[in-house]
Amino acid sequence: MRLLPRSLTGRLMVTAAIAITIALLGAALAIGHVLERFVIHGLDDRLDAQIAVVARAVGPDGSLDPALATDLPPFDDAGSGWAWEVIGQGGRLRSASLGTADLPLPPDWDNPRPWDRETPRNRETPPDGGRRHHHRDDDRTGPRPLDGVDRSGRPIHYRIVSLPTATGVATIVAAGPRSIVERPLRAAMTPLLVSLLLLGLFLSLALIVQLRIGLRPLNRLTRLLVAVREGDLRHVAVDEPTELLPLVEALNALIAANEDALARARGHVANLAHGLKTPLATLRLDLDALRLDPDGRLDAQMARMEGQIRHHLGRARAADPGGTAEAVVMLRACLEDLAQAIGRIHADRHVDARIEVADTAAVRCDPQDLDELLGNLLDNAWRMAGSAVHVTARDAGRHVCVTIADDGPGMSEQDMEEAMVEGRRLDEREGGHGYGLAISRELAELHGGSLALARSALGGLEVRVRLPKVLAP
Amino acid sequence: MRVLLVEDDAALADAVARALRAENFAVDIAENGEDGGHLGETEAYDVAILDLGLPKRDGLSVLAQWRALGRDLPVLILTARDAWSEKVSGFKAGADDYLVKPFRVEELVMRLRALVRRAAGHAASVIQCGPISFEAQTGQFQLDGLPLKLTAFEWRVLSCLMLRKEAVVERLALLERVYEGDADVDSNSLEVIIGRLRRKIGARHIDTVRGLGYRLTAAG
Repeated sequence: MRLLPRSLTGRLMVTAAIAITIALLGAALAIGHVLERFVIHGLDDRLDAQIAVVARAVGPDGSLDPALATDLPPFDDAGSGWAWEVIGQGGRLRSASLGTADLPLPPDWDNPRPWDRETPRNRETPPDGGRRHHHRDDDRTGPRPLDGVDRSGRPIHYRIVSLPTATGVATIVAAGPRSIVERPLRAAMTPLLVSLLLLGLFLSLALIVQLRIGLRPLNRLTRLLVAVREGDLRHVAVDEPTELLPLVEALNALIAANEDALARARGHVANLAHGLKTPLATLRLDLDALRLDPDGRLDAQMARMEGQIRHHLGRARAADPGGTAEAVVMLRACLEDLAQAIGRIHADRHVDARIEVADTAAVRCDPQDLDELLGNLLDNAWRMAGSAVHVTARDAGRHVCVTIADDGPGMSEQDMEEAMVEGRRLDEREGGHGYGLAISRELAELHGGSLALARSALGGLEVRVRLPKVLAP
Repeated sequence: MRVLLVEDDAALADAVARALRAENFAVDIAENGEDGGHLGETEAYDVAILDLGLPKRDGLSVLAQWRALGRDLPVLILTARDAWSEKVSGFKAGADDYLVKPFRVEELVMRLRALVRRAAGHAASVIQCGPISFEAQTGQFQLDGLPLKLTAFEWRVLSCLMLRKEAVVERLALLERVYEGDADVDSNSLEVIIGRLRRKIGARHIDTVRGLGYRLTAAG
């Protein structure tokens, strides 16, 4: 069985609640005990005062003088429950409240329990004078208490003093109703418990606030980690509380190690793909030169291998969040560089490219990814165009919408849908739009943008790319 | 047409060279960036094929160095690097064309011929000089509309003269464009080749300009 809840809040709550309960119960018991002693002390004082009066009636020789045994009120009142009695060797004296009846005494009244420390040796008969002398000292420490019930079952509190006389021990017992102790006690306990309950409530509230404040850095850390995972942040930047710093350091080290491993893995993929390209190129040249492949079967296999390499290299690049430290890229310069390169690659295609993009247009994107994204699209446009490629960029709220239109044959609605739903299917088609479109779309989405296809005003295909806008400095 | 091929992969370099020679190109191979850079600076080439990942010196820095020295030969970058950023940097460094491995030899040859033709200032792919026409894209010569059969040396000389038709081509320049760096010149001396060409296309179309060189001309 689980003793502790799974949540940190739960654990802290449970342990703190247990601690608070124990502390409050302890406080209630301790305060109650002190109060009881305090109130009983008041009762004892009244009984002891009566005892002191009555003690004068006991002569040193053990004789009892009723004239000297005065009743202090309310010992003279029969119904009061207050009473005293002197039990001497030669007879008894009683308070007026008792009349002629003996004071009801508990059975062990002259047999003090060992833990009645106030008068531990009162009942011992001292064997010698030295002890006796000592005994007197003890007597002066005062009467011993005793609790019992009267004939009608009401609790009674007694004070008992044993006076040594020449003829033996005279015992004075004074009794008062315990109810006069319990009434103020009960009256005091109610506000005491209420205030302790309030204290408990306050402590619980304080605990909740404390947990909220104390655990807030953990929530913040969680949000930061989510941001790192989503690529909005490169690492977790937290400089307080100090207890979390080692954790943050460890997390950042882990993030860095992850990035390294990812970059290495991508590097390996790229190296593998690149490394395969040169021998593949050699193989193809040899196949052609030595005429080893008359029916083109091997050539088809080579084409498949090339397609695989291109595909996986493109995907490795497109899925690369290594560029999360995104830069501000000026659109016009980027498009013009690409157009110049593509214009040279397709030098014999006489394409008139118009790039109508404001000098200030800028997007937030990894520069290499942006080159890849727009390069694929421009290259497609160039290859498909009859004679014109038209590139524009306009503001679209928080995005810049780059439109690349050509006057080529365009795509059918069905091809557009296929290219958007499953770009890979069109990969295989040599010279088609498909491959570049799929990669460009992945890149656009990776950087918080989107890609859509439409029929262009020039008659061919129009590709619309939305990318996060940046206000140029 | 003489090509400088800078490629560190020996197998690929051999295969490319063999394919280009089959298309009548004269090919010099450099196996690293230093040698390639040096050859490009000191020898005359119609076009260079440059790999980017080269030992000793990176292809881009070789190219930038050539351009800084004013060497304006057309350069085709032939590399496995296919990212658009890399292509853009290649063109910024001064490349004229960019081909990604693996490639088809027909495309490489076509692109090389187009580069040489454009570098010589011909926008159209067919160059005409009197009865002789040169289809620069396929490398075919025709005389009066009929295919002209030429040896590799003859083709190199005639194509060089054709690209600079009606202008005097210096003898030395012609020699440089016809022979590979380590060729045995004696057995196929330029005069012998010119003589054979004159017999095939008519002597009046190739002028000998004394002390300077040769000129291909429509009149004559």
